[in-house]
Amino acid sequence: MQDMEQWMHKIEQWMHNIEQWVRQQPVEQFYAALAVLIVTFAFFAVLRLLKPAKSNTIVLAGLSGSGKTVLFYQLRDGSSQQGTITSMEPNEGTFMLHSEMEKKGKLKPINLVDVPGHSRLRPKLDEFLPHAAGLIFVVDALDFLPNCRAAAEYLYDILTKASIVKRKVPILILCNKTDKVTAHSKEFIRKQLEKEIDKLRTSRNALSTADIANEHTLGVPGEPFAFSQCRNKVTITDASGLTGEVSQVEQFIREQVKP
Amino acid sequence: MLEQLLIFTRGGLILWTYRELGNALKGSPVDALIRSCLLEERSAETSFSYEAPAGGGSYTLKWAFHNDLGLVFVAVYQRILHLLYVDDLLAAVRREFSQIYDPKRTAYDEFDEIFRQLQKEAEARAEEMRKSKQFNRAPPVAGKKQRPGQRAGSQGNGKQKGGKVGSGKDDADGESGKGRGLSNGSSNGQENGIKEPSRAPSVLVKGKENGAPEVGAFDVNKLQKLRPKGGKKTDAGGGGGKASKAEQKKMVKKNRVWDDSPPESRLDFTDPADEKGDSIVDVVATDQGESMMDKEEIVSSESESEEDEGVESAKPGTKKKGWFSSMFQSIAGNAVLEKSDLTPALKALKDRLMTKNVAEEIAEKLCESVAASLEGKKLGSFTRVSSTVQTAMEEALLRILTPKRSIDILRDVHAAKEQGKPYVVVFVGVNGVGKSTNLAKVAYWLLQHNISVMMAACDTFRSGAVEQLRTHARRLQIPIFEKGYEKDPAIVAREAIQDASRHSSDVVLVDTAGRMQDNEPLMRALSKLINLNNPDLVLFVGEALVGNDAVDQLSKFNQKLADLSTVPNARLIDGILLTKFDTIDDKVGAALSMVYISGAPVMFVGCGQSYTDLKKLNVKSIVKTLLK
Repeated sequence: MQDMEQWMHKIEQWMHNIEQWVRQQPVEQFYAALAVLIVTFAFFAVLRLLKPAKSNTIVLAGLSGSGKTVLFYQLRDGSSQQGTITSMEPNEGTFMLHSEMEKKGKLKPINLVDVPGHSRLRPKLDEFLPHAAGLIFVVDALDFLPNCRAAAEYLYDILTKASIVKRKVPILILCNKTDKVTAHSKEFIRKQLEKEIDKLRTSRNALSTADIANEHTLGVPGEPFAFSQCRNKVTITDASGLTGEVSQVEQFIREQVKP
Repeated sequence: MLEQLLIFTRGGLILWTYRELGNALKGSPVDALIRSCLLEERSAETSFSYEAPAGGGSYTLKWAFHNDLGLVFVAVYQRILHLLYVDDLLAAVRREFSQIYDPKRTAYDEFDEIFRQLQKEAEARAEEMRKSKQFNRAPPVAGKKQRPGQRAGSQGNGKQKGGKVGSGKDDADGESGKGRGLSNGSSNGQENGIKEPSRAPSVLVKGKENGAPEVGAFDVNKLQKLRPKGGKKTDAGGGGGKASKAEQKKMVKKNRVWDDSPPESRLDFTDPADEKGDSIVDVVATDQGESMMDKEEIVSSESESEEDEGVESAKPGTKKKGWFSSMFQSIAGNAVLEKSDLTPALKALKDRLMTKNVAEEIAEKLCESVAASLEGKKLGSFTRVSSTVQTAMEEALLRILTPKRSIDILRDVHAAKEQGKPYVVVFVGVNGVGKSTNLAKVAYWLLQHNISVMMAACDTFRSGAVEQLRTHARRLQIPIFEKGYEKDPAIVAREAIQDASRHSSDVVLVDTAGRMQDNEPLMRALSKLINLNNPDLVLFVGEALVGNDAVDQLSKFNQKLADLSTVPNARLIDGILLTKFDTIDDKVGAALSMVYISGAPVMFVGCGQSYTDLKKLNVKSIVKTLLK
């Protein structure tokens, strides 16, 4: 007990000494110190606010064989080189779009990512989605019907991911390979996809309380699903990666990545 | 003659193709190679054969990697030809191309000339080898017997592709012997690649009549020298693994409670008056709680650093170069991964996988595949070999266990419903794995999603099988189609499906008798059942306790189904149901073995003996457990 009292006494003495010392300092110094502290905090706060600058990443996703890699090289170089093959790894590049090389003016370079479509490599998409400013979902308009279900499932998975819904990432559904005669029209593809997703909605929502893979529900319950019901903007257009008719794609990209 | 030689990046862009022959390839062999071989972690195999659909040609494909630049070199040729120079050519092409490669360029037309030259040289060398082979037919027969023994030891050496003359000498002695024994390049093609630097020593060996056996003895000694080095690693790896497992055991052994239903009093289902099985039966229906299929699994996201620390403590320093120089190199980031660097880390990983009950063959193949994908790669700065290998293995495991097609059964059932036919699932497997129990669990889960189910008792052999299913059916209040015992299961199944469409049941679950994979008549009967009824899903039921036998079971089941099929596109195993998962603590390797050998995804996991104990496979947690 005596030790405790001694300690207490000592602490009181120290406090007293500190107080005296503090009182002795000129007041201006305090104000200066305080000012410096406040400025530093303000600086960091401003930095924090400014940090979520709009990223310039556009993600290309879609089933295997839909033409993502061709599109990637088309946007980068203006030609699809000697052909492509099933990708095993993502293609990533930061560049100016080929058609904009001639344009004057300061345009922000785009970080384009082509994620492989093979189902075993799906988890790679999750690495790039949190930074995406826009997503282009490439659909093979030529060979559409056999793959309709798989494409719809992939699209459904993307539309219900948290990183897409929360950040309202705009999605462009691109019907590729329209240079071929037997390619389907974008209206047809849109209707088919909406129908399939509607069916998926009922079968996936049946999974009671905990939604296992999907974190959000789509659309309005009771009404058939339509892309206009999504909280993020979903548009549909067509293009041809091989021949280079990608003007609408470039327009979409430019809208998302503003200089 | 070579049909095509392709050089492409791992991202999918074709950089250069061999343009001499004008005829296009039939089908798409390179795509098939990527999808069924390279992405399935079988990149350590020597060749891949492809049959173009609709009677096109059949090709053999060989490949080589340049892991540092991310390039893949693939050669395609007709299967009936046995070209010996392909491996050699691929190695030479790789060497030359990596010198002119530039990531920014996409056209390499000047390579045509270089390639033509390389091809001529390779063909000339192959001609010479063939001629020298013909002089040397006698000794290889004696040497051949010793080959299988040293395969493990020299296989690692054999993987060193062309150009390494210094270390090539030792390998060459073993490999050229093998090369002589086997005539075509289709199975041990690797050895042909070593022929060029090994030409000198092989001339020496050729002279002696008993050259081969002595070469064999030499290699066995080398193997024994390698073994103790590997043994040290195993002990360290095993010790580290055991320590962490012991800790785990203390935490894991507590009372097994899944959901908050009142189970204890209802565990005893025996009915007092149930002799004939006709009297009052407890109707279980859907009041046992939610099936675990619908519950989200809470995966603990422990930090990766824990695993890394465990890994590092388990592997006491790989002392190939001096400690200082290796430290310096890992900081500067210039070390190129060699086979010798990878071997100890891979061996430790393989042993760790085997302690987790992965079949030995599968662990071996996986390690080779990871080695093939890492060789020649530059180490990043501040990374060690072991962490690079660990990351690569983790990615590989994740890739294998991720299903390559959708496993959404509910969607398939709805699709079949729209077409007006019942969705038929057949449960196959060896004896005693839990087919009937898990069939009931699947029925329970489907019932919870408002799908009408019917059971078909096609196990007409085991005593009590029909009664067992009848009891389940009564508890779940679903119809059962049975014809008693000693009937042909295929006919019973067919009638059950017809009955189901009459009563508009959405799903038919067909229970079959357990059978060993070696039993020829039983496998034939199973194949008849599947051919006759063409089910929508063939589910292989395997227990998680199985060890190396999983490989044998699955491969033989698939083989028999393919051989005895009447249609060209044979029905193989479509999915796996893994049972008795609660009995293994963290020895989850059986899942990996089964998925790797069959390529089919794990659709359900049975983790207990009541109706709610059915869940989905959580790939990330399995990978984490396997590499812990």
